[in-house]
Amino acid sequence: MNADAPPTTRPDTDAPALRLQLVHAAYDRTPVLEGVTGSLLPGRSLALIGPNGAGKSTLIKAILGLVPLTGGSIEVLGHRPEVARSDVAYVPQADILDSTFPVSVLDVVLMGRYRAIGWLRRPRLADRQRARAALDAVGLADLAARRFGLLSGGQRQRVLLARAIAQQARLLLLDEPFNGVDATSTELILSILSRLRADGVAVVMSTHDLSIAHLACDDACLLNRRQVAFGSLDSALTPELLRETYGPSAVQLVAGSSIVTTD
Amino acid sequence: MSRLADAWHTGFFRRAMLEAVIVGLVAGAIGAHVLVRRLSFFVVAMSHATFPGVVIAAALGLGVSVGASAAGLVVVILVVVAGRRSDVAESTVTGVVLAGAFALGVVVQSARAGGARQLTAFLVGSILTVNNTDLVVTIVVGAAALAIVVALHKELVLSAFDRDGARAAGYRPLVLDLVAMVAVLMAMVVAIPAVGTLLAIALLVVPALTARTITDRFVVAMVLGAVLGAVCGGIGLAVSTMWRVAAGASVVLVSGAGFVVALVVRALIDAVRRRAVVQSGELRSPVGSPA
Amino acid sequence: MFDIVLAPLRVAYMRRALAECVLLSMLGGMVGVHVVLRRLAFLTDAVQHAVLPGIAIAFVTGTSLLAGAALGALAAVVALVVLGWAHVDRDAAQAVIIATFVAVAVVIVSRRRGYQADLTALLFGRVLTVRRDELVQTAIVVVVSALVLAVTHKELVLLAFDRPSAIAFGYRVDVLDAVLYALVAASVVAAVRSVGTVLVVAFLVTPAATARVMIDRVGPMFVLAALLGTIASWIGLAVSYDASINHGMRLAAGATVVLLMTLVFVVVVATRSIVGRRRHVLVAAS
Repeated sequence: MNADAPPTTRPDTDAPALRLQLVHAAYDRTPVLEGVTGSLLPGRSLALIGPNGAGKSTLIKAILGLVPLTGGSIEVLGHRPEVARSDVAYVPQADILDSTFPVSVLDVVLMGRYRAIGWLRRPRLADRQRARAALDAVGLADLAARRFGLLSGGQRQRVLLARAIAQQARLLLLDEPFNGVDATSTELILSILSRLRADGVAVVMSTHDLSIAHLACDDACLLNRRQVAFGSLDSALTPELLRETYGPSAVQLVAGSSIVTTD
Repeated sequence: MSRLADAWHTGFFRRAMLEAVIVGLVAGAIGAHVLVRRLSFFVVAMSHATFPGVVIAAALGLGVSVGASAAGLVVVILVVVAGRRSDVAESTVTGVVLAGAFALGVVVQSARAGGARQLTAFLVGSILTVNNTDLVVTIVVGAAALAIVVALHKELVLSAFDRDGARAAGYRPLVLDLVAMVAVLMAMVVAIPAVGTLLAIALLVVPALTARTITDRFVVAMVLGAVLGAVCGGIGLAVSTMWRVAAGASVVLVSGAGFVVALVVRALIDAVRRRAVVQSGELRSPVGSPA
Repeated sequence: MFDIVLAPLRVAYMRRALAECVLLSMLGGMVGVHVVLRRLAFLTDAVQHAVLPGIAIAFVTGTSLLAGAALGALAAVVALVVLGWAHVDRDAAQAVIIATFVAVAVVIVSRRRGYQADLTALLFGRVLTVRRDELVQTAIVVVVSALVLAVTHKELVLLAFDRPSAIAFGYRVDVLDAVLYALVAASVVAAVRSVGTVLVVAFLVTPAATARVMIDRVGPMFVLAALLGTIASWIGLAVSYDASINHGMRLAAGATVVLLMTLVFVVVVATRSIVGRRRHVLVAAS
């Protein structure tokens, strides 16, 4: 596929970027996800909220078509997950990556173009320009030649976001993107995400930080191995529903807004 | 069978049998620590690295065990020191040290023109030429190694499973690592005269692995590993005598066969268990999924 | 002094030995770098031991050593897969395979009288008696590896660096893994006849590991690793030749080369540790 070819799926602002219907998934006959239902329109952002082991990562993997479903269906950009992959970008936590690996910041961003470049061919000028533009969008253009592992946690997370931008994805899946990220990078990432949403990119992010959800997301999906709620932030992030997700003792009301404590 | 009966009457066979059983016991017990600390590659490297030590010791007229111990210690230090660098993985360093040490042994041995026979004895053991002194060394060193892991049992297990927790509790994980590696080295030094440097790894890993296939509990696995090691040592030697096959290799292959049997039995038990759970309808099938 | 350096070029068998070592150094530069990036040193060690029984059988029955080695590698892969299904820890599985395969080889070889000499030949190799047709075989492995890596290079680097994302991108990571393992196995099989079944790891891993400590970019690592291997081979062969001809000391050639490679690694690591790490600021080449 040529780097300049149009994306395989045409963005249609009426059609949902993501449609989940009664999604069930199991691992070794043990259910890990049940009854997940909802949709996400282009340009909107969905928070996946729930305790550890609630199925947030499983849902992300299912959206990528990497986990077989035992029931229900997932539609990504109007297609089956396996087909839509080239328009979906996965952004892992930067911490899991080897910080001694001999790759530069630009190398990492270029990795987002590999699928488009294809086997055998090397990245060309157009790819490098796109990668630099993506780095510029996250404010790290001057660090392009530095080794990836030498950057701070927040900077590395921004590089991974730039990789997703370079991929020109229409749907972004972020795994706990603000874990261990400093305040400056957090603000930058939030503004990048809202710019992307203004361009019609849909965003799914797993998080256990409710204040981030309020700042960055429009909708929320509460998970505890089964779907507890799916809807706009206000309708989903109520104390009762949060208690149902995290357990009754974990939620405390502080001056009217809920605070989750994990014991 | 008669060959076996005949052999039993000879002193050298009885000594070899005793050696095989003791070596199997010690290595089988300490193997539990090798597995839980994921030291398998390190042990392979150490067994190769003891080779130059053995060769040089022979050249200097010293005992095999002395050379093996010295070389092993050097390897332990090298791997721990170089492995703490962040840019090369510990396994990479281990590979480099393994080959380099073995090359050193080859070069020294070739310079000595020592003859292939002696070399082979270092590599695959010569349990049938074990004398009373060797036996005493085996018992003393083996007992010492076992004493170390028994005395420091809870600290070694804690630091193996939860390094940070051990540090928080006030232990020094690095020191405990060194202790574990030294105990493993001692077990290896005991095993080398019996099965040689190339095969010593087997006694340290295979009976312990078989034990882990049977049980999940560490202490039980240690004891079971010791028993299995001793049994495989004895049976291996008997097989070697009956069928005129290299002794060290026979012990290893008997251990391997035992492991395979345990794996197969375990797989069968697991399959039967899974069937029973599904049939009893214990697992709810998800709503909306096909039957 | 100059004489010693040029010695490997004078005699036909030395030229062939040098050619074989240079070819193996190129493999070390290509496949070895990926082995270091993916931390596959133990797997390489397992494969090099696993080919031993195959070679032993071929040796004893007088058939092609290459075929025997290839079968041994295949058997090891199958064993690894089966042990993986049984959920045996990969570390332990590799150790078990090493030990049992070596034991099988010992049993096979020990059935012959005077087996000790045969065993040492299998273990330590005989780079000085490498034949023309064996050189050609090694060259073929080098060319095939180069072709395969030309196609899959950037994907293999991505896989080594960020496996979850490679999976998310939709790459068939199991296929990519298999490709790399196959390259490792082929390299081991190619090298094992000349340097023996313990020193193969050195050719594949040591120069690449040295290059990794020296520089921080994957591209130059390939060239540097191949260069280090070639230089060590040249000097090692020259030294062992000189020792044998001029000083009456027989130094096994392959082992001498490996000793030199290891020495370079130790010196580089020691220098780095003492001097301290420079900040690896890359010069922008992209």
